[in-house]
Amino acid sequence: MSELQHIRNFSIIAHIDHGKSTLADRFIQHCGGLTGREMAEQVLDSMDLERERGITIKAQSVTLDYSARDGQVYQLNFIDTPGHVDFSYEVSRSLYACEGALLVVDAGQGVEAQSVANCYTAIEQGLEVLPVLNKMDLPQADPDKVRTEIEEIIGIDASEACLVSAKTGLGIEDALEYLVAHIPPPDGDREAPLQALIIDSWFDNYLGVVSLVRVKQGVLRKRDRIVTRATGKIHQVDGVGIFTPKRRETALLQAGEVGYVIAGIKDIAGAPVGDTLISAQHPDVPALPGFQKVKPQVYAGIFTVSTDDYEDFRDALAKLTLNDASLFYEPETSDALGFGFRCGFLGMLHMEIIQERLEREYDLDLITTAPTVIYEVVEKSGEVVHVDNPSALPEVGDIEEMREPIARCSILVPQEYLGNVITLCVEKRGVQKDMQFLGSQVSLSYDIPMAEVVLDFFDRLKSVSRGYASLDYSFDRFEAASLARLDVLINGERVDALALIVHRDQLQYRGRQLTEKMKELIPRQMFDVAIQAAVGGKIVARQTVKALRKNVTAKCYGGDVSRKRKLLDKQKAGKKRMKQVGRVEIPQSAFLAVLQVDG
Amino acid sequence: MKAPPLGLYVHLPWCERKCPYCDFNSHEREHLPEEAYVTALLADLAGEAATVTDRTVDTVFIGGGTPSLFSAAAIERLLQGISERVVLAPDAEITLEANPGSAEAAKFAAFRRAGVNRLSLGIQSFDDAALERLGRVHDRAQALAAVTAARSAGFDNLNLDLMHGLPQQSREAGLADLETAIALAPEHLSWYQLTIEPNTVFHRRPPVLPGEAILSELESEGRKLLARAGYTRYEVSAWSRPGRRCRHNLGYWTFGDYLAIGAGAHGKVIGSDGRIRRYAKRRQPETYLAADPGTFTASERCLETADLAGEFMLNALRLVEGVPRAHFTAATGLDDVVIAGTIAQLVARGLLVDDPARLATTPLGLSFLDDVVGAFFDA
Repeated sequence: MSELQHIRNFSIIAHIDHGKSTLADRFIQHCGGLTGREMAEQVLDSMDLERERGITIKAQSVTLDYSARDGQVYQLNFIDTPGHVDFSYEVSRSLYACEGALLVVDAGQGVEAQSVANCYTAIEQGLEVLPVLNKMDLPQADPDKVRTEIEEIIGIDASEACLVSAKTGLGIEDALEYLVAHIPPPDGDREAPLQALIIDSWFDNYLGVVSLVRVKQGVLRKRDRIVTRATGKIHQVDGVGIFTPKRRETALLQAGEVGYVIAGIKDIAGAPVGDTLISAQHPDVPALPGFQKVKPQVYAGIFTVSTDDYEDFRDALAKLTLNDASLFYEPETSDALGFGFRCGFLGMLHMEIIQERLEREYDLDLITTAPTVIYEVVEKSGEVVHVDNPSALPEVGDIEEMREPIARCSILVPQEYLGNVITLCVEKRGVQKDMQFLGSQVSLSYDIPMAEVVLDFFDRLKSVSRGYASLDYSFDRFEAASLARLDVLINGERVDALALIVHRDQLQYRGRQLTEKMKELIPRQMFDVAIQAAVGGKIVARQTVKALRKNVTAKCYGGDVSRKRKLLDKQKAGKKRMKQVGRVEIPQSAFLAVLQVDG
Repeated sequence: MKAPPLGLYVHLPWCERKCPYCDFNSHEREHLPEEAYVTALLADLAGEAATVTDRTVDTVFIGGGTPSLFSAAAIERLLQGISERVVLAPDAEITLEANPGSAEAAKFAAFRRAGVNRLSLGIQSFDDAALERLGRVHDRAQALAAVTAARSAGFDNLNLDLMHGLPQQSREAGLADLETAIALAPEHLSWYQLTIEPNTVFHRRPPVLPGEAILSELESEGRKLLARAGYTRYEVSAWSRPGRRCRHNLGYWTFGDYLAIGAGAHGKVIGSDGRIRRYAKRRQPETYLAADPGTFTASERCLETADLAGEFMLNALRLVEGVPRAHFTAATGLDDVVIAGTIAQLVARGLLVDDPARLATTPLGLSFLDDVVGAFFDA
């Protein structure tokens, strides 16, 4: 067990693609955490999805033993942080467990907006932030320029920034030395009663609930009786240990250390993230300040294609929320889709990931409805309600005023793409608040309706700047706006799950776009399918999916039914992904048609 | 359960040239191992016959491939061998598929003498350009001559296979083909739309097919022509003069039994335990020829309850008039309750007729038969 002065707890703040995972892999390799043979690419991104998308979603940790040049062995606890704009909340959670953070910046690309925001969070939390310039092996690396940028934009001293190449291994040891020298060791009284913060919890089918904790004071031992502050329930510790990155049981975790606890917690709400673990013998130890409860920005209904899967779906959501406190859900009933859940997400990527995890890890067939932001509606009665579902909007006659959420957006963009980015912001109904030229980059501040930001703004921003612009945003306020509900009618019947809240100026245009896209997505059926967009009682757009002429195999091949069966099975598989609304079969994708039209 | 009528399907897997739309088990070969193949077929049948000892074979269908490539002597030996191994009904319908090439037409009389009493000619079109695009080896003149030859050979039960919706075909050209066929006064017409199947040349290099409007008019006009000429549509693509429906195919469609011999042939027979068995013979002609007696079968499965209802409907509902409802239980051994719910739904959707005594589609249901049948597999 390490003495406090030989422990370093740190995170890495980096933009996607700036090489955080590769750098982490190098650290693990250097410290012998895994043999070369075991070294799978990007060890820390353990969810399949994370690997496929090349991003980190969930906090993970790894404990490494580093033999420093001073002859001491240091215990390095690296707590990974997510690197996408949707997940900035998760970053701050990881930072709670650390005394320092490495700010990894691509030496060719420079600082990105999200890293700026995360750096500020780290600095606010009192962490030591150490700049590291990565990708020094690339010819376009320009360390002087990037140093200046770090100093100008973030305002920290970058003169001693480490120069590394995670790809070639250049400067890795120097970075570790730098880290040991500059990140302060944790403090914490090991004789005091236990106080540990739950940084993350997840459900393991064999072990039950596994929690990643940072011990703030005292010691956590196997067979200790502990209490989770929020639930007040007593549990016996079945095991504690660390990830190296393989899970390795240790006898105890002491103040200053980061590791996992398994305490036979079967109820998945039993170890909430942000809660404090204390000893059952000292029930009066206060809770640590938990995490600020994050508010979802995007809401969508999720329904099972088959009603039989509803129970499984509910269980799956319950399990996912254990790891992901930012996922909100409550039951929703749709006339068209039956029983499901209204879910709240941090952003669109978060929504996609949750849907993919539900489908992949829990084998569910789901329909997700068009995402929406939350609106504030003032009723004539004076009551203010928040609406996260277009079909739940009060009657038009009862509405005094509708307000939409406005996001404060910070954008960093190289000067050459400034014009494109401003055009995009204007198109998205943005109002410029600030503009500063910092080195070769421009820092822009815009107020943009959240509804525009969450849908495709980030992707569009990337595409108009050839990937160079970066974004950070947060909810700022509600503001009165001219809004209306756009309904979609299929063969004359209003389909609640397809309704959208749209700015009045865009009603006609959005209605036309949406019906055109749905026409492409809804397959031809035995009868004409009319797709209409309407506002109040007024039809603003209409498309028709013409009836199929026939669907019959012309010739049946004598006694061989097998090919006919194959054909029917194929049709059946296609139908499984469809939801019957009235007489009309609607594919899952059509419920998300709004995302597929070009912004 | 009373044993259903019994047919025998014989597959002769060779063609002079493989057509670009064909996904049947057919092979181009220079040399036809006629002798050896007939010997193998009869050995194969000996095994089959043992499963139906006390039953009479009502129909024989010799299909392909191009069976008419075989010599009349080989066909005669085959039919002789069949009659020695199974009990053939005195009035058995014995069909042979033939190409309308001149070499084949020369053999028609001998086929008739060998015992074939129904000839099915693969005409497909009377338009030389269309035939060439279809990769057919015959032309219009040969097609017309083949019909004459069949009549002079004594065939009084003749089917013509005709396709429509051919590459670049106009409505007029399609109807002209049909008129020519009707003028030849066959007893039976299979008039079916060209469909592009996977694993065919046309699937890899799709031809330009007529648009939907043309297809639609062609089909409705064609049906009127056929009706006026005294042909009744009794199955999705089959028309006949009164009393001249194809008995062998009716066996398939009424969920009857059929033995199968020859490369890739598919059979269906009910066992003494009431279980229905489907099986298929080795597909490659070479492996079929090389098989030891008793090892001709490549795969077999017993129909489970889950499949039975669907497979019954897949066949029975192809018939325009459908079948008596009681026939479902008679042919499958399943209780009517298995299908009652699905039927009620399909009746409500206007796809099946609302008649408690019959299982039949409405005209709409027949047009969307794949959806109708699919519903029984889903249930």
